[in-house]
Amino acid sequence: MDSLMNILTELDSSVAWEKEEALIDDRILDSFGVISLVAELEDSFSIEIEAAEMIPENFNSVEAMRKMIVKLQEK
Amino acid sequence: MGYHTSLYLFVFLPIALLAYQFTPKKMRWLTLVLSGYVFFWMISGKLVIYLIGTTIWTHYIGIWLANLKMQCKIHTIGKEKQEIEITQKQYRKKERLVLASGILLILSVLAYLKYYNFFVRNVNVLLDTADSPILLQAKTLLLPIGISFYTLQAIGYMADVYWEKISAQQHLGKIALFLGFFPQIMEGPISMYSQVTESLWEGQGITGENLSQGTVRVLWGLFKKMIIADRLYVFVSAIFNYYENYSGVIIIAAAVGYTVQLYMEFSGCMDIIIGSGKMFGVTLPENFRQPFVSRNAAEFWRRWHITLGTWFKTYIFYPVSVSKIVKKWNRFGRKKLGKYVAKVGVSAIALFPVWLCNGLWHGPRWSYIFYGMYYFVILLGGIMLEPVKDKWIKICHINEEALYYKIPQILKTWVIIFIGELFFRANGLRAGWQMFKSIFQSFEFQKLWDGTFLTFGLDKADLIVIFAGCIVVAIVGMIKERNLLGELGIKRLWLPIRWAIYYGLILTIVIFGAYGNGYQQVDMIYAGF
Repeated sequence: MDSLMNILTELDSSVAWEKEEALIDDRILDSFGVISLVAELEDSFSIEIEAAEMIPENFNSVEAMRKMIVKLQEK
Repeated sequence: MGYHTSLYLFVFLPIALLAYQFTPKKMRWLTLVLSGYVFFWMISGKLVIYLIGTTIWTHYIGIWLANLKMQCKIHTIGKEKQEIEITQKQYRKKERLVLASGILLILSVLAYLKYYNFFVRNVNVLLDTADSPILLQAKTLLLPIGISFYTLQAIGYMADVYWEKISAQQHLGKIALFLGFFPQIMEGPISMYSQVTESLWEGQGITGENLSQGTVRVLWGLFKKMIIADRLYVFVSAIFNYYENYSGVIIIAAAVGYTVQLYMEFSGCMDIIIGSGKMFGVTLPENFRQPFVSRNAAEFWRRWHITLGTWFKTYIFYPVSVSKIVKKWNRFGRKKLGKYVAKVGVSAIALFPVWLCNGLWHGPRWSYIFYGMYYFVILLGGIMLEPVKDKWIKICHINEEALYYKIPQILKTWVIIFIGELFFRANGLRAGWQMFKSIFQSFEFQKLWDGTFLTFGLDKADLIVIFAGCIVVAIVGMIKERNLLGELGIKRLWLPIRWAIYYGLILTIVIFGAYGNGYQQVDMIYAGF
């Protein structure tokens, strides 16, 4: 999952990603940021993120993103 | 019967509360559903059939989707991975078809009732230009109250069941309650099923705490609507209805006046609605969060009519941005044209339908479509200019949190909002354009103090009341924005001060409310959408 951190750091290096628990709710990650992130995650982890997954709970923290990625890889 | 009328506040709401309280807990949901239908019937008469029809259809589609999901699970038990994938794909197709039919039917009803005559008018213009002897006939169509609101809620429910965010509801009563809760039937807030239905269904008794909190919220709403918005209505109408006679500073005042009127009116009605919900123990979602401190148009839309924005983001923006075709473009764009171009392209594709629908949702007028496109261009421009802005901030060592940067940003956002609302309120797109152009003709600053403003139906006292009211609302907004009273809110204050505020609110509304002789009862603006 190191590549997840690389993707996030490349997206914005000023954010302490591992510490944040409310990336969406606190607007650290806006909807345009989420779209860019989705494209990167799909390419890096060979997953398909559908509209059903586009909920704040899946993007609010690095841990939530990890869980979503694992769930989609198992699908 | 608007939410600000005596009929609602002193007759309908108390009767509904009493009926609710005296009904056995298990049957309270039924009292709420019946109250909703009576409320609807008192405004739209037999058109209540549309609400009932939408409720039955939404419930049916939900069950149908749930059955397909269940059948899919049964048919995949004990099968090989490849077979499972094929079966899942087949069922996914069927589910998509059911969802599409579900949405299409209720959208068709909305489109027919709301946009048919608009369509006819525009087609006739084209036919006339082509010298066609045949013209389409307009029809007298009655629009059920709140159709634009409950239709969105119904679509949201169907999509949530399809995405498995929620389970399909077997009990028709719960869907009826979700779509027909009377405080929100006319103006929203547009709720998601998971946000409100369980607390509505719970049927908890009325408590003193909820009743007092609800009452204060209702009073606050009346303060905004009756003291500020209904006064400003007189001033705004006087200019917008005879815009040809005015220019420069008067038109600017009308645009600012209308923006303030719309905010006080819509957010005031929301306070009454949320307060009414609170009395029944239901927490409805907030629709406004101090929109005038926004630093850009995107932030403004996260603070203004929040539930509509959330609905568009959840059910249009994200589905479009993760659709196969957009993803394909995104991949192609990032590889061949770079990340920046790909981001702008995806944002444009996903934002366009959102803002087209936003404009159309407000009503069948070109000025509303223009209003949507206006924000589409501004938001897209913001995304395009982001790298330039970031670079500029870095080079100039600008502290983004410093007042010297924040205040001009807020003022710039105000200008964007005022121009948008000028077109939104104008009597047609042509009138809006005329008004906008006339701002730059004969500016005449002196009209601000030469008494011209007292010729629009308001006297000096009215203007002072409006101004003082706005200051009170701004102070309360500041307290909320900085969370100065914490979670407890007004309850944190010393009891005598709290009661002084309650009585102060009541007295201010009674003394300064724009009702009685010399004032016209003003309908709720958003109930017309």
